[in-house]
Amino acid sequence: MTQASNDPVTLEIIQNSLQSAADEMFAAMKKTAMSSIIYEVLDMGTGVMDADGEIASSGAGIPAFIGVLDKATKVIAGKFKESGDMRPGDVFATNDPYYGGVTHLNDIIVAMPVFADGRVIAWTANIAHNSDVGGMAPGSLTGDATEIFQEGLRLPAVKIISEGRPIEPVFEIIKVNSRMPDVIEGDVWAAIASVRIGAKRLQELAEKYGASVFEEAMSSFMDFGEKVTLAELAKLPKGTFELSEEQEDGRVFNVSVTIADDVFVVDLRNNPEQAFDPVNTSRDGVIVAAQMILKSLTDPNSPCNAGSFRPLEVLTTEGTIFHAKEPAAIGFYYELELRAYDLLWRCLAQHMPERLGPGHFASVCGTFIGGIHPDTGRQYTIIEPQLGGWGARAGNDGNSAMFSAFHGETFNCPAEINEARNGLYVDRLQLNLEPGGEGRYRGGHGIVMDYRLRTDNGFLTIWYTRSKYPAWSLDGGNEGSPNYVHYIPSSGEPKKMTFASNFTTRKGDIIRVVSGKGGGLGDPKDRDRELVREDLRNELISDDCAREVYGLEPDR
Amino acid sequence: MPDKITRVATDVGGTFTDLVCFETDLESGELKLRTAKTDTTPPDFEIGVLNVLSKSGVELSEIDFLAHGTTVVINALAERKGVKVGLITTSGFRDILEIARGNRPDFFNLHYRKPPPFVPRFLRREVPGRMTYKGEELQPLDLSPLPEIIDGFKAEEVQSIAICLLHSYANPSHELAVQDEIRRLWPEVFSVASHQITREWREYERTNTAVLSAYVQPVAERYLNRLDSGVRDLGFSGALYVMQSNCGVDTVETASRIPISMVESGPASGIWGAAELGKLIGERNILALDIGGTTAKCSLIHEGQVKIVTDYWIERNRLSSGYPIMVPVVDMVEIGNGGGSIARVDEFGKLYVGPKSAGAIPGPAAYGKGGSEATTTDANLWLGRINPNYFCGGAISADMEAAEKAINSIGAKLGANADEVARGIVRIANNNMVNALKLVSINRGYDPRDFTLVAFGGGGPMHAVALAQELGIRRVVIPPGAAVFSAWGMVMTDLRRDYFVTRLADLKPGSAQVIESTFRESEEMARKQFASEGIGAERVEFLRFGRFRYQNQEHTTEVEIDLKTIGEEDIKAIESGFHETYEREYTYRLDAPVEMVGIHLVASAEAGRFTIAERPGGTADARAAIKSERDVDYALEGVHRATVYDGTVLEPGMAFAGPAIIEDPGMTVVIHPGNKVNVDGFGNTRIELD
Repeated sequence: MTQASNDPVTLEIIQNSLQSAADEMFAAMKKTAMSSIIYEVLDMGTGVMDADGEIASSGAGIPAFIGVLDKATKVIAGKFKESGDMRPGDVFATNDPYYGGVTHLNDIIVAMPVFADGRVIAWTANIAHNSDVGGMAPGSLTGDATEIFQEGLRLPAVKIISEGRPIEPVFEIIKVNSRMPDVIEGDVWAAIASVRIGAKRLQELAEKYGASVFEEAMSSFMDFGEKVTLAELAKLPKGTFELSEEQEDGRVFNVSVTIADDVFVVDLRNNPEQAFDPVNTSRDGVIVAAQMILKSLTDPNSPCNAGSFRPLEVLTTEGTIFHAKEPAAIGFYYELELRAYDLLWRCLAQHMPERLGPGHFASVCGTFIGGIHPDTGRQYTIIEPQLGGWGARAGNDGNSAMFSAFHGETFNCPAEINEARNGLYVDRLQLNLEPGGEGRYRGGHGIVMDYRLRTDNGFLTIWYTRSKYPAWSLDGGNEGSPNYVHYIPSSGEPKKMTFASNFTTRKGDIIRVVSGKGGGLGDPKDRDRELVREDLRNELISDDCAREVYGLEPDR
Repeated sequence: MPDKITRVATDVGGTFTDLVCFETDLESGELKLRTAKTDTTPPDFEIGVLNVLSKSGVELSEIDFLAHGTTVVINALAERKGVKVGLITTSGFRDILEIARGNRPDFFNLHYRKPPPFVPRFLRREVPGRMTYKGEELQPLDLSPLPEIIDGFKAEEVQSIAICLLHSYANPSHELAVQDEIRRLWPEVFSVASHQITREWREYERTNTAVLSAYVQPVAERYLNRLDSGVRDLGFSGALYVMQSNCGVDTVETASRIPISMVESGPASGIWGAAELGKLIGERNILALDIGGTTAKCSLIHEGQVKIVTDYWIERNRLSSGYPIMVPVVDMVEIGNGGGSIARVDEFGKLYVGPKSAGAIPGPAAYGKGGSEATTTDANLWLGRINPNYFCGGAISADMEAAEKAINSIGAKLGANADEVARGIVRIANNNMVNALKLVSINRGYDPRDFTLVAFGGGGPMHAVALAQELGIRRVVIPPGAAVFSAWGMVMTDLRRDYFVTRLADLKPGSAQVIESTFRESEEMARKQFASEGIGAERVEFLRFGRFRYQNQEHTTEVEIDLKTIGEEDIKAIESGFHETYEREYTYRLDAPVEMVGIHLVASAEAGRFTIAERPGGTADARAAIKSERDVDYALEGVHRATVYDGTVLEPGMAFAGPAIIEDPGMTVVIHPGNKVNVDGFGNTRIELD
């Protein structure tokens, strides 16, 4: 350790500063965004990449977004390095999975190169879900899409700001294509502000310590990430593990995972052809799913950067659902990406149950509700994932009412704000007490939430999974309970639904969101009797359940 | 006519209970400062306070103003030593306390544990009845379930009841009706309704706030009553005030009813002290930094004003979502970096400092009490920044062998010698603190170069200059008695209440009336409360802030409205004030409609504050204060021969230059090469950087 500027302490200080830059970008975006899905749900992410687009550091938010920014930045960096059309002050954007966008068209990724010593030394980037990017349906997401062209405006990795000046025609095109032009403008500017703030911080670091020391700090940080993963990988059981799982529509998904000392191979090649509905994902999408499992299996708390994922290999076949080819529609990619993630989790859980417990409700339960606000006369759109139950863990019951594994620092919308902003009533938000998830340690509870509509001619779009086959259990525990919407019209028969595309809603209708319980662990008969009595006292289980499932006669 | 005014503050800390006493001689204006320290006495903290009062020798009958800061609330929460609470909520929302917001900061960890609610499900009960977000009754309140609920609570030996109904921030009448009915059915039990604590929306946050307040209420009330009667038994006849998290003090009665607002009173008094000190010396933009044994706290003071917010959580960090408490708390960032923070090296050779602390026992290795891990204090000793022969004012003889051993065990893992390790520890600790200071400044759109750093707490004066250098700050001020500065701040406080009220209104022509009436209602409420405490309207001062956003946004930006009455003609100016503040914070502005989401009203009344006279600067030569010289390792600037000054001998007007060290019994000031130092008329050490 010397006083030279590239000593370990200096590198450490720069690495800490990369994290604070990503956090600062996140805070700025959160506070200025116009869409509730960004500022409340925090369906967004921020990150710092090296000159090649390899991720060095990311802001809090959605784990499933961390692996997106690097892939988008690589495409942008590659494209504009080649053309040479990249200058200080430039900002680029993409939202198209066939042009680095990874997810779906609603997610606009904004990236900015950071210059020092006359060269690009890093990138800052931001991803956020925009409420409406055009296309055939409000909110841009529809189960009816068969081609990406129907899902909204495509930004194929283009420049939007040139040397600090907005390229006005691009902004005009973005605005005119959206049903919510002011909101998309506000959100894109929030994203630009966020990458600019990050870029400024990185520039200051490079000026202070020198560009090459800055670059060394980034690369040694990634080497550190790799070392952590390799150290943990060495502790995992080795071999090839396989799983085939029937889906709710009868298709079968297959995965095989090979774990060796220095490599973690995920093989998703043997899977159905890409679909004509919007439930397809880019290859990048399933890479993100595999990265998340790898990170959770190895060291969830250490920094997460490109190095953490170096030992990962993902195999896919182009033209399949997990590696869609243009122009496949991809609107509901997230539900499929989550299926791939859950498949990997389930495949490995049986072989390393102490690291991975039983499954959770495992659906984003993406719910899109729109209509006219009766008090303001303005259009409102709710875009939200739902809370649900998580699986049990050895020694503990599962968590109740948490977002799916794809979400992290995501917050649900308070009923009081929901009623004011969207002009509907939230009649209840409570734990789902349907049977399921029982075990020595039981799964957590999902939720029951009632939206009562106050105006006619609104719409409902949903795509829920794990409805027929609920959260899986382990070691003799019971499966969880299903995810679904119970639609109770003001007149007519109630019905259960898991899919709806622009379903027309009426005043007085109730949309009851029901999310499932997590899977149980171990035989319910082995559950601590005191805990069963506590569940009874808390009215979480019925007397019948205590008697029949847990084998305890309630004392009344 | 008394010939002097005596103001006393007592502060209960984790280890020690401190006392600061100021006696102002009315004739000469001379100010006498007395301090005393005793052990903190858990669980009966009031005994320690009474002990320190007797130890100080202050005559209780002569005290005019007695302020008290206590950690009783945060301790009861941290140690889960509150009482059994029952919760009454709106039908359909019994589980809101358990559902919370569904977030998971530790998002790759599949074994994450959601923080359990403070009230189990069987003690969470519902009553039918609904308000709308506009405060209109949608469904009448049905009190008929209450007798059965109360019987159940009695059978379960509930000691305290929290009430939180939907939209009570807009119309509290249902909550009040429930509370009246509870009082009728069970007069002895304590109850609190959420609107009595906050008038802001977000039902989970408001429910949790009411629950936590109910949880600590009996504990806090018992404590404050014992303290109050304890000091009265000793002859005190003045008013006893309790430090709050919003930088003000409040009466024992109010604090007993809503104790949760004391939750962060510890850091608040120091930050308030920095703001008051700034007013005294003409510095209106201040970064306040308080470095203690376990943590460092910092806060930004802009134009003389501390910033008060209501998004506060306990136990929230990267690993846990924690619990929200929606009460006015001074906006600050606290990190696990203090003098006792432990340095460690992970299996990959990375060096960390904190957040784990060696605490008071065993303390840093150099305490010689068996601590074997190197701390920031050990590194400061090793580098000659702290004098080993004057450690803790000479009270402890530094065990330099233990310090060396601890530092070398880190060195063995890093392949570095003790000097290099000690420099590394100090630099990493400084970097952690620089990042915290950036969070309160740069992150909020302020340039730290426009601010003066006021540093206090045991460790503040030691690190302040290095941090200022990092951030481009040109002036550092170290107050006299920096180690007990929090108590000084408490002596300087006013009675203060912050009212946050959610009320939606478009900011456009015709909106002045609703905005004005929202302020008026809160002002009326404030005046009434002060009047009930014998404080007339003429003594009450108001500060108005509007909380605005662009339409469709969620988070608000707070803008001061410097008007006693808001009329139609002011709307334009208010709007442009918002655009300006917004742009400073977020780099852009929009041509979009602006809406008000609510107000923030500060109501304060002086509690007989005193002024401190400035002493004229003499011509005395600072050389009179020189104790010795020694080599000091400044980490980034290398080793320099520093002149050591005796802080107790420094007088106003004295000036000298770095490299230097000031030592006094409570602190060490590290002055870097090139710094210019002078002592001002209030005894502050002012350090000018190049």
